[in-house]
This record gives sequence, C-alpha cells and structure tokens, in this order.
Amino acid sequence: MVDFGILLQILFWGIYAGCIYILLATGLNLIFGVMKVVNFAHGEFLMIGAYITVTIFVLTGFNPYCIILLSMLALIGIGAVVERLCFRPILGTSKLNEIFLSIGLIYIFQNGAAMIWGDEWQSIRSPYQGITVPVGSFNLPLDYVIIMVVTAAILVALYLFLKKTRTGREMRATSQNRKGAMLVGINVERMDILSFGIGCALAAAAGTLWVVSGQVFNPYMGSIPAVKAFAIIILGGLGSIPGAIIGGLIYGIAENGAAYFLGGVWKDAISFIILIIVLVVRPTGLFGESGE
Amino acid sequence: MRYSVLIIVVALIAAALVAGCTQQVQQPAQTPASSVGEIKIGVIASLTGPASNVGKNMWQSAQVAADEINAKGGIQLGASGPKVPIKLIVGDDESTQQGGQKAATKLITDDKVDILVGGYSSAVTSAYQQIIAEYKVPYIVTGASSPVITHRTDIDTSYVFHHCPTTDSYGQYTVTFIDQVIRPAVNKKLNAAADRPFRLALLYQDTAFGKGVQAAVNDTITNNKLNIVLVSQQGFKMGESDFRTQLTATRAANPDAVYLAAFPNEGAPIITQARRDIGLNTIFLSVENNDNAQFYKDLGQYGEGSIIESRFSPYTAPVGILADAQSKFKNSYNAKWGTFPDMMGASTYEGVYIAAQAAGNAGSTDKAAIKQALVDLNMPQVIEAMKGGSISFTKDFRESQFDLWMEQLAFNQTLGETRPDIVWPDNLKVTDFTLPSWYQPGSA
Repeated sequence: MVDFGILLQILFWGIYAGCIYILLATGLNLIFGVMKVVNFAHGEFLMIGAYITVTIFVLTGFNPYCIILLSMLALIGIGAVVERLCFRPILGTSKLNEIFLSIGLIYIFQNGAAMIWGDEWQSIRSPYQGITVPVGSFNLPLDYVIIMVVTAAILVALYLFLKKTRTGREMRATSQNRKGAMLVGINVERMDILSFGIGCALAAAAGTLWVVSGQVFNPYMGSIPAVKAFAIIILGGLGSIPGAIIGGLIYGIAENGAAYFLGGVWKDAISFIILIIVLVVRPTGLFGESGE
Repeated sequence: MRYSVLIIVVALIAAALVAGCTQQVQQPAQTPASSVGEIKIGVIASLTGPASNVGKNMWQSAQVAADEINAKGGIQLGASGPKVPIKLIVGDDESTQQGGQKAATKLITDDKVDILVGGYSSAVTSAYQQIIAEYKVPYIVTGASSPVITHRTDIDTSYVFHHCPTTDSYGQYTVTFIDQVIRPAVNKKLNAAADRPFRLALLYQDTAFGKGVQAAVNDTITNNKLNIVLVSQQGFKMGESDFRTQLTATRAANPDAVYLAAFPNEGAPIITQARRDIGLNTIFLSVENNDNAQFYKDLGQYGEGSIIESRFSPYTAPVGILADAQSKFKNSYNAKWGTFPDMMGASTYEGVYIAAQAAGNAGSTDKAAIKQALVDLNMPQVIEAMKGGSISFTKDFRESQFDLWMEQLAFNQTLGETRPDIVWPDNLKVTDFTLPSWYQPGSA
C-alpha cells in the first residue's frame, strides 16, 4: 500500500515539472496559433533564458526571481529578430522549410551558446534554498512554491493580455482567421513578431525557473524539453493555450508518477504513450478543433 | 491540423532514421613501417554533448602527455630505431552512439591513425566497436568502464585494451568499504548489534555503465554473503536532471546510505536535490568518474560527508611515490589549460603514454605488431596506482589492474566547496571516515 504522503509528494514534484512544461508549451502554442509555424528550436530559447539568468545573476547578484523579467525582455528581442530574419521569409511556404530552418537554428543556438558560455554543465543556488513550508507531514521547499506561483502569475498575465487588451484581441483574431484579420485591418505581421517574441519570453521564463530550481543546464539542454513541449501541444490541441496548460500538468504528473511506480526509465516514455492514446481516441488533441 | 501533426511526426521519424544511419567503411591501406615519420594517435572523446565536460578533460590531458613525449624527442621505434614524434588527432563522439561511429570511422579511414585512445560512455563506445574490430586498430579504452567492452563475444574485441577500472571493480571496492567501514560506524552510532543488516539504496543510470555497477553491487553482496540489504534500486535515464521522485522513493525505503552509479552532471544534482529538497540526510557514495572539479563546484556544501571511490583526484593524492608524479601532471595541465585534470583525463594521459610505449616496442606502425606489443606490455605505472606497480593487461580480457581508494568530502568554508581526503584503505588513507553530525541512519 502506497503511503498517501508519498503520493502527495510525487504530485507536488509533478506539478513543479508541469510548470516548466506549461510555460514552454504555451509559448510554442502561441506561436503556432498565430503564425502556424513549427519551430523545433523552441527549446533553445529556454536554454538561452537560462544562460541570460545566470549571466545577470553572476554579474549583479540580483535575486534570480527578479531576473526573470529581464530574461523575458531579452528573449522578446531575440525572438523578434529570429522571426523577422528567419521565419518571416519562409512563412506560407512548405512546412519542410520551417522544420529544417528550425533544426538549423538548434545547431546555431547550441554552438553559439557553447562559444559564449562554454559547454560545461552549470547550476546556481537560489537565495531561498533550504527554506521549507510545512504542509502536513511534508516540508515543501519554498523555491518550488514560488515557481508555481510565478507560473500561475505569468499565465494570468497572458490571459489578461489576450482577453482584455486590443493587441491581445487582434492576436487572437489572427490566430482564428489570418485572412479575416487582414481584411479588418489588423497588421498580421506585427502580430507574428509579437506572438513569436512573447512565445520566446515564456520559454525564457521556463529557463529561469529551471535554473532557480537548481537543475543543471548546458547548451544542449533544450532539445528534450522542446520535444516534450511538442508532444504537449499535440496532446492538448494545436493552437490551444488551455490545452497546453492541461497537457503540461498531465505530462509533469504522469512522468513523475511513472518514475515512482514503473521506474525512472519510463519517465520520458510515458509522455509519448499518453500522446498515442489521446491521438487514437481524439485525433485533434484534448482541446483542439477539427477544422484547424 | 491533421496535416500539421502528420508533418511533425514524419519529420521526427525522418530525423531518427537519418541519425541512425552509419557510414559504409572501407579497409584503409597500412602505412609502411619504413616510412614512419610520426605515430598517429587518434583520441576519441566527447567534445560536445552531455559528456563534454569529461571529454574535454580527456582530450586536454592527452595533449599534455603528447607535449611531454615530444619534448623528449618523441618515441624510439624498436631498440635501435629512430625517434619519431607522436601526433594526436581528436574525434568528437558528440556523446552519442552515432557520433562515436562517425568519429571512429573518420579517424581510421581519413586520418589513418595507428592506434586509438579514449572512449567515455560505455554505450557510445560499444556502438563503434564493430568498426574497431573490422579495421583491427589497437584501441586503448580509458573511460568506458563496462566490462562488456572487452568481454563481449558478438564481435572480435582482441584489439581493444581496457585501461580503466571496470564497473565490477567499482562495485566490489565500494561495497567492501561499506561493509568494513560504514556499517560498523552506523552500528556504533545506533548502539546496534553487529549483525544489524545495513540498508543500502542504489540509484543507477539505466545504461551499460549503471547496470554494470548494479550487477557488481548485487554480486559482491551475494558472493561474499555480506550483511547488506538492498532496500531500493532506482534507475534513471542518462542525462536526467530532475531526480526528486526517485529520491522520494529512495527516502521512503529508509536507507543507511545511497550508492550512485551516475555521471558528474547527474551525481551532483542527485545529492543536492536529495539533501536540499527531499531531506535525505544520509551518506552518498559515488563512482570514480565524479572525482571532477566541476562536481565539487556543483555540490557546494551539500557534498559534505559524501564518499567517492577514486584513483585520481584533482584535489588530493595518496601518500607515497605517486604523489609527485600526480602533482607534476596536475601542474602541467593547470599551466596549459588553467584548470585541473579529472580522473578520465588521468587515464587518457596514461593511455597516450601506453600507446607510445606500445608503438615503440612494436618498432613500427603495423597494427598487428602494436596490438601484440600491448598484449606483452609491462611498463612502470605512470601517475595512477597500479597493482604490482606496473601497467600490463590481463591475458583473458585485456584489463589493466588499478589500486582504488575511497575519499570522504569535507566542506571548506573559505572555498565554499568540499574537498576530499582519502579514508580507505589503510595503506593510502590520510584520515579516518566519520559520520557527519546531521547523518540520519535508516530503519526497518
């Protein structure tokens, strides 16, 4: 019989892992929703966000949780440049162009990061390490509670932006019907660059939270999370932000549950088993629409 | 939407297929012995990818050895032959099996090396052994520790020589140390009877390396009828960075100590997450490849009290004749690269010396002659402690025999990192093993 307290801990670690996935997958889905481009290099933005966080942390000694805003701002800029120089010229051409362009970007970003920061594994320490919040018989490390709160705050901010602002509404309109949006006077190219930048900023936030939680990182760290983020958005439904959130949580919890009940080697496999099952039962994903 | 999903799935499958392809290889021409102008030594190391930290150390150490040998005029071919320099050529295995196959093929067919040195991940090294067997190139493996490397029977391994302890040795030494040193110390702390079973947990990388350690631990306990119970055996994927769930399961098993079969980029997060996030305040034992400057840096204060099985450390050396040799190597490395060598670097440094010695003894670059020279090799130990004080390979599986030791880490407030002291065996130790004040033993 499994101890209930142990299950709660596994759930907690699953939600924590889910937070990283949610931010990464939501950004990816925002980009796909507006531009309909497939960017396999999205994990590299997480990696760059991690390195920017560490660089600013080492140079200034700022609280790494505060650096998340700087990291996101930097990635909005980097994302805008990548969109303008790389993706816009091939927009509307073959999907294969997008795929091979993004694979090329993976190598460019990885090798660029290795040249700038070196390719050794690195890690940093949170200023709150060792501080715990007692919940029942379980002492929750404060860092992970903060990570969950920060993730929720970012998602709420994104929701308010998309629902309550004019630009957000224009972005949603572009996502729903690009030609229709153009006909009513929305500058869809501006929406492209903005959605790409925001998507990269969300990946940067995931990168910051990754390093603050004490996980090691190097220039090659982004590939596996990116593959999982793709699986999450397919699971949740392409273009669906609620789908990315629910999918991210499902993956985080399922991975950690599998690691406990089946063994650590099943941690990655379970994600794709779930994906296959969902696609067989509901090919559009949990929140996807068949006409998209 | 279905179109998009289909494109993504097809692209992923295509990428996997392309990555799985291997190059066709052709038999290279042999370099005539009469025209030997240099000895070409190929070094296979992980310069990129997850194992790049260790791989760079191996490659840089090899260059230190080559510099030293060439500074003395090179290696003499035969008893009265000319002295020729050695030339190193690196092949990056990219920390992947496919990368290893490309690197080995390029070094053999394009660069036409006379002998190979290196190899870190056992899984990666195993993947290109077929190429080594096909071309019959002598290969001194200095990092891949699975005994399978020279024990496998599906291909010809007669040209492969193993110059690093195998996972069998790791497991045997570490479990013996637990039985002879940690178990009595825990019993003393608990005022428990001498026959109290010691509760050991194992966290292992799910590869040939990790499973090799797991098998060695199980076999050592069973074969020697040790009073040690394995209360938890958790596997994890190579390159994993989040171990909290496995550590939660490990803690639930109430271990007296946890043995980690992990690489440094895994071992440091495991110990940090265990002590900081899970509250698992126990003794962690790591295998020798963790004795690496980056490992100490990543561990910070959480490494306090941990144990590393070792044979070469950046920060300590055994008492005796090897201390000066190790110090000289560390200083040369530091002068050239501005940092300290690790254990895989040390064995690769020795691997270049062994390769040079074998080529010298063979008197030519004929690969069969070099292989025979390796079979017959008996040269003085270089910087690591060898059984009998000399380097030679066993007749059955071509493995050199090391003397290993156990280090315990103590936190240095000034450095903000831990530093090791040798605590076992008695002839090498500089201090005694102690249980930290915060240590919490397990319970049934």
